[in-house]
Parts: sequence; structure tokens; C-alpha cells
Amino acid sequence: MEKNSFWSPYLAGIGLGLTLLAAFYIMGKGLGASSAFSIVSAVATDKLNPEYAKGLKYFSRYLSVDSPLKDWIVFEILGLLAGAFTGALLSRNFRLKFDKAAGGSSRARFFTALAGGILLGFAGRLARGCTSGVALTGGAQLALAGWLFVISMFISGFIFAAIFRRLWS
Amino acid sequence: MNSPLFEYGLISEGAGLIVAVVIGFFFGLFLERGGLGNPHKLTGVFYLRDFAVPKAMFTAMVVASCGLYSLGDLKLLDIEKVWIIPTYFWPQIVGGAIFGLGYLLAGYCPGTAVAALGSGRTDALVTILGMIAGSVLFAVVYPALEGFYLSSGMGTVTLPSILKVNHWVVIAFVLLLAGAMFYYMERFERKTRENS
Repeated sequence: MEKNSFWSPYLAGIGLGLTLLAAFYIMGKGLGASSAFSIVSAVATDKLNPEYAKGLKYFSRYLSVDSPLKDWIVFEILGLLAGAFTGALLSRNFRLKFDKAAGGSSRARFFTALAGGILLGFAGRLARGCTSGVALTGGAQLALAGWLFVISMFISGFIFAAIFRRLWS
Repeated sequence: MNSPLFEYGLISEGAGLIVAVVIGFFFGLFLERGGLGNPHKLTGVFYLRDFAVPKAMFTAMVVASCGLYSLGDLKLLDIEKVWIIPTYFWPQIVGGAIFGLGYLLAGYCPGTAVAALGSGRTDALVTILGMIAGSVLFAVVYPALEGFYLSSGMGTVTLPSILKVNHWVVIAFVLLLAGAMFYYMERFERKTRENS
């Protein structure tokens, strides 16, 4: 059992809320995450096989600009990585490890981490964002989209947690 | 009124990218400090054993919502120029449901996977590669999905606009909802601690 050195989630929530508010005030948009990976996926496909990437209609929204990676959300994610790294280091919470459920195998964890990631990437595109861009940002804007997504996500999570009871507990 | 600063041309494209890094830095810092880079805490809510996710998330939502609409009402921020997430009813419900399963399996959502990587979790790197693969998969099957993807579009509707009430009515309701949730979560956590 590692010692719990985290802040109160309410305090972290206030910090997150003020960060989101700053994004609204300065940039006129909220926080996001999933589309950064969509941009990276478009650029990677374009590097590997430009002809094929050009044929993918969905990717044209990213590949039509000169440098797709010079995007707000890609830079935001780089900042996110640095911020989390700093927080973990300063609180002595940084530990290199392949995290998994207690008693689970690393191989099983590899597959759940990968399959979960694929579903997240796919669903994020379908919903036009993820927990950051749709749920948190949309929820704070009182946008219908945010509340639909949040409710659907939690109901689904609870149902599948009841089915996969030993996944994490 | 001259904000959002970027929309009023007070911040250049290049400076916007620096702002992105700074905003992202605090986003990641608060996620990690709230324990939201830890898959055991992130999935705790679904097993009713750790409510850090809804506590942090609804606190953040309420703070940002009050701030956004206060600044708007005080004419300090032009809400018309803030990009509001558009609603596509069924795609967002189905997307949310698939997302919920992905979140449970991975133990992360996209932003928190990056926060987890920042705190040294290499399994989060597998999830990130999966997300990139999932995005490619979406682009590949997009022609077959486009009809559904663009269906039930409702534009940038908000709860106050649908219910035809003042935004503070909705915010008061969200505050009450969050308060009640927090109360029961604290009580539930205290009970489980006493029993263990």
C-alpha cells in the first residue's frame, strides 16, 4: 500500500475549475485531451502512408493545415504531462511502474490498457470529445452535450463494473 | 469588454500556444495532486470505494460554471465568443457509453492517462497508444459511420436555453445536486471505513 499523499479532491477540483475558467477567459475555449491523440494519429498515418491518409475523409480536418501539430490542444497536452510530472516529483509520488490491479497479471493489464485505449480513442471521436472536452468543459458551460455524455459514461461504467467485478477491486 | 483575450486579438497565435502549455501545466498538476493519475482511484467510483473523480469533477464544473456566467453577467467576458460544445444527441450518448467501458478497462480517460504517464505509470503509455489506434480506427470506418455521426444534431444548445430559464436557476440546481452527491459520498466512505 503506497502512502496517500494526494490533496483533497475538492481542493484539486477548485484548481481544475479555475484552470478551466482561465482557458475560457484567455482563449475562449475549454480544456480538452482526446483530439490531441486524433491529431497525432492523423499525422502518424500521413507519415507512414500519405496516399492512404489523404483518402481518409475524417483526417482531412487535421491534414488540411500546414503543421497540424502546432495546435492549441497538442501544446496543452505537453503542458499537462509536465504539470503532472512536476506534481508527482514535488510530492515524492513519482514512481516508474507498470500499474495494474492487485493480483492481476501484467499480460492481462497490457490487454485491458490497450483495449480500453482503443475504445477511448474511438468513442472520443464519436462523441466529439472526452471527459475533459465534453464532460468537464461542456458540463461547466451547461451545454446539453456535456450532461448527456457524463450521464451515459457513468451509467455505462457502473454497468460494466458490475459485470467485470474483479477488474480493479 | 475585451475577453476572451484570444478572440479579441489581444493574444497572438504563437502566444496562444504558450498559454496552452501553461494552462495544460496546471491542468496536469491538479489532476495528479487530486489522485487522478492513479487508475485505482480513477476506477474507484465504479466500485463505490473511492469518489475522488466525481468529487473533483463536479467541484471543477461548479467553480468554472459560476465563474463563466458571473464574468458574462458582469460584462467582463463575451460568452457569445466562447466556443460551446455542440450537441449531437445519439452520437454523444452512444459515445459516452463506449467511453465508459474504455475508461473502466484502461483505468484512465485521455487526459488522466497523460497525468498517469507523468507520474511514472508505463501502462498509461499502452493506453495512449491504444487511443491513437482507436482514433485511426474511427477515421477508417468513418465513411460507414458518417450518417450516424452527423445525426440528431441540435447545435450549441445549453440546459438554460432548452428549459427556457435563467442560467442561475440551472447552476443552483447543479449546486444542489453536487452538494447532495458529496454529502452521500462522504457518508458512504465513512461507513465503509468504519466497517473495515
